[in-house]
Amino acid sequence: MNLKIRGKLDQVFTAATGLSVVLLMLILVAILGPMLYRGGNAVFFQGTVEFRKMQRDLFRRADDTTLNAEIARTEEFRRQVYAMIDEFKKGVDVEALSDEVRELHRRFGEELRAKDVPSEQYSQLRGLTRDIRDNLETAFTKRDVGEIRPLVEAALQHAENPAFKGTSAEQFFRIARSFLATAEKVDLNHQREYAAALRDVEGILFHTQDLPGLLGPRPDEPQPLLVMLRYGTTRWDQARRLLDRFFWVEEWVEGNPGQPLVMRRTARAELFPESFRPLFSYVRDNAEKMLEPRFTAYWQFFLDDNVNSHYFGGVGPEILGTLFITVVGMLFVIPLGVVSAAYLVECAPDGQVIRIIRMCINTLAGVPSIVFGLFGLAFFVLFLFPLLGFEPKPCILAASMTLAVLTLPVMIRASEEAIRAVPRSYREGSLALGSSRFHTFVSVTLPAALPGILTGVILSLSRIAGETAPILFTGAVSMGDVPRSVFDPTRTLSYGSYDMAVGDRLAMMVPHNQYGMVVTLVLLILILNTVAIVLRTRVFKKLRGQ
Amino acid sequence: MNDTELSLTREPGADARRPLALTPGEDLRGYLLAHLGRAVLFGMTFSSVLAVLLILLFVILRSFSFLSGYSIVEFLARRDWRPTADSPVFGSLAIIVGSLYVSFAALVFAVPLGILAAVFLSDILSWKARNLIKPMVEILAAIPSVAYGFFAVLVLAPWMQKHLGLTTGTNALNASLILAIMALPTIISVAEDSISAIGRELREASYSCGATRMETVIKVVIPAAHSGIIAAVVLGMMRAIGETMVVWMASGNATQIPQPWWDVSQSIRTMTATIAGEMGEAPEGSEHRGALFALGVLLLILTFGLNIVSEYFLSRAKKATGKA
Repeated sequence: MNLKIRGKLDQVFTAATGLSVVLLMLILVAILGPMLYRGGNAVFFQGTVEFRKMQRDLFRRADDTTLNAEIARTEEFRRQVYAMIDEFKKGVDVEALSDEVRELHRRFGEELRAKDVPSEQYSQLRGLTRDIRDNLETAFTKRDVGEIRPLVEAALQHAENPAFKGTSAEQFFRIARSFLATAEKVDLNHQREYAAALRDVEGILFHTQDLPGLLGPRPDEPQPLLVMLRYGTTRWDQARRLLDRFFWVEEWVEGNPGQPLVMRRTARAELFPESFRPLFSYVRDNAEKMLEPRFTAYWQFFLDDNVNSHYFGGVGPEILGTLFITVVGMLFVIPLGVVSAAYLVECAPDGQVIRIIRMCINTLAGVPSIVFGLFGLAFFVLFLFPLLGFEPKPCILAASMTLAVLTLPVMIRASEEAIRAVPRSYREGSLALGSSRFHTFVSVTLPAALPGILTGVILSLSRIAGETAPILFTGAVSMGDVPRSVFDPTRTLSYGSYDMAVGDRLAMMVPHNQYGMVVTLVLLILILNTVAIVLRTRVFKKLRGQ
Repeated sequence: MNDTELSLTREPGADARRPLALTPGEDLRGYLLAHLGRAVLFGMTFSSVLAVLLILLFVILRSFSFLSGYSIVEFLARRDWRPTADSPVFGSLAIIVGSLYVSFAALVFAVPLGILAAVFLSDILSWKARNLIKPMVEILAAIPSVAYGFFAVLVLAPWMQKHLGLTTGTNALNASLILAIMALPTIISVAEDSISAIGRELREASYSCGATRMETVIKVVIPAAHSGIIAAVVLGMMRAIGETMVVWMASGNATQIPQPWWDVSQSIRTMTATIAGEMGEAPEGSEHRGALFALGVLLLILTFGLNIVSEYFLSRAKKATGKA
């Protein structure tokens, strides 16, 4: 072959190998970068006044005087929104109006009965209000102002009747007047559409049946039972998404037949008559004043429990559960691992038995993690626990023991390497001074190997903390109390990450909390591993005498 | 005079009461203690063997009732897995094929990349630069599988759906890409070890014949290190077959064999994901649970087999470099 071509091929090959490593780095960055950035959003973000309200109510941390001042300021700006919506609603939401009128009629009857008016007067007044009610209800069903006006005026002629003064019947006339006013302004032919569109707007601004809105419930409505509905958007990024939904209606429409659907955005304001549109420009101009976003470092994310399946709050119990499982697991795996390694290095003749043991360690390292889960369930939970008189249910102890078996090979290999790395001269010096083999190991070899063993400990720690499959059936739950003993199941970061990633619509609405959970886990493990790597390089440098 | 003679014949000072020779009792005690100590240490070391045996025993035991009551041929050869139907069917062929399918697909991505990276680390980079890159590979291995699954579901799947125009983002391609990333660290480190273990002599001999670096690597180093590289591939495959969270989250979990077979954009289901997903719903003592444990047995057999293969190639690699 031509020498030039060979040289070029060689360069291409070198470039390809280099590129493969660059690709590897890019993959690492592509996985960790967005994850860290989005997870960081769980802790650092623009928190709104609603966030501070939520923190005060649910976690009892707030500066009351400044917060009250803030709430007062924001309420000032919100009031305008409430007023605009109420005003519009009066003309449009005829069903609600009819309901209100019927309710008024009923209540007026109760008031009369409570006042013990004579029966004659009672039936007369009731008849009057019934007429008013019927007139108004017919008026609500009409579309034409010409038809509405006589009906409303017929009702309004009783407005001066002294018998209605100071009773709930006065409300009739307030409703009648405002309805007439809107009927003159608004094209009532679109009433129904307006009412539906208004319900959407209210859903986005306040809250719907199951989703929180921009501003939270109105101060005059009763507190919703679901905690997350009691607050508006707690984060400015969420608020911006909601505002986008507020200003724009997104629809998937068929573009060309046979083609995929295309999204069309139309301004929501166009669904409403002119008289209502100022609401949109008002919200656009004053959104920040209604929410007062401010930079927030929510470090308590790592301590707080969550509320309403991770809608609010943090990952405190998950961290605690992970630590709990890890510590209990380490109690099993450290002694077993170190002793096994010591035996394999110090005492073992290179015989058949040792070969079998080594093969089993390698086999154990290759067993799929889910099979460890099966084993943990079958052996620890269903066999060993009843045998020892414990309740056969998944719990921290079972999970820890399962993970200990899983991580045993990691521990043994790392400790073995560490013990082997101790120079022979150390051992021989100690033996020459007349100490026994056991004494030599405990007082000379082990201290010298300790940093290396520590590396193994940290690596097993990170493995235990990160595994999910083995604890699926042996001790992890997605919801539940903080465990009180090792016989309770627990939430963990790993299982929580799974649960949030495949979670329902609610979890998808709080991506910062999804990513926050998984980033907490990844950071924990990266830190552990970095420590292990640094420690290992140092130890080997030292033992080599550099 | 007498006193000094006496003191010479006696043991001096504190050891006065202790004779040099051990009494038979002490001798026995020392002997027993040393052996007992060894026995205890051996017992603890033996726990790994015990663990393997117990895993085998209990997983097989739990699946026994199912395997004895259900036709094994049907279990292995039927394609439909309908555990909750009125007359449940446990045909695991599609699931087994799914496991192998994503693992092989992962290897297709991971093996070339892994070997190239291993060559780069062992033959091209300087020692110092290599020590900077290797921790990165380790970090890739340390990221927990659930985090990879998270990435697959929430980042990769929507991306695929949007940019590749697939009907679903959770499919065989997604799962095997992530599995490839997860198998890479194993493949790289084992392959790199075996490529570095081929000594300077072979390389220098090749260079002195006038070969370029590419020719040396492809025609001399890789053939010489082939046992270790095969072991690396097998270990990577083991990692991919045994992985649970990623395939559970990213593969779509549809019990089917892709038609046509090369269509990686279809959803697929693996053994690990089936066990993980259905264990919670299978009541204790039911046939369903037995079937899941039987899948566990299959997984164990598969990984044991692969483990033996990898051990064989690793020991061959060791022998080969030992001779060189």
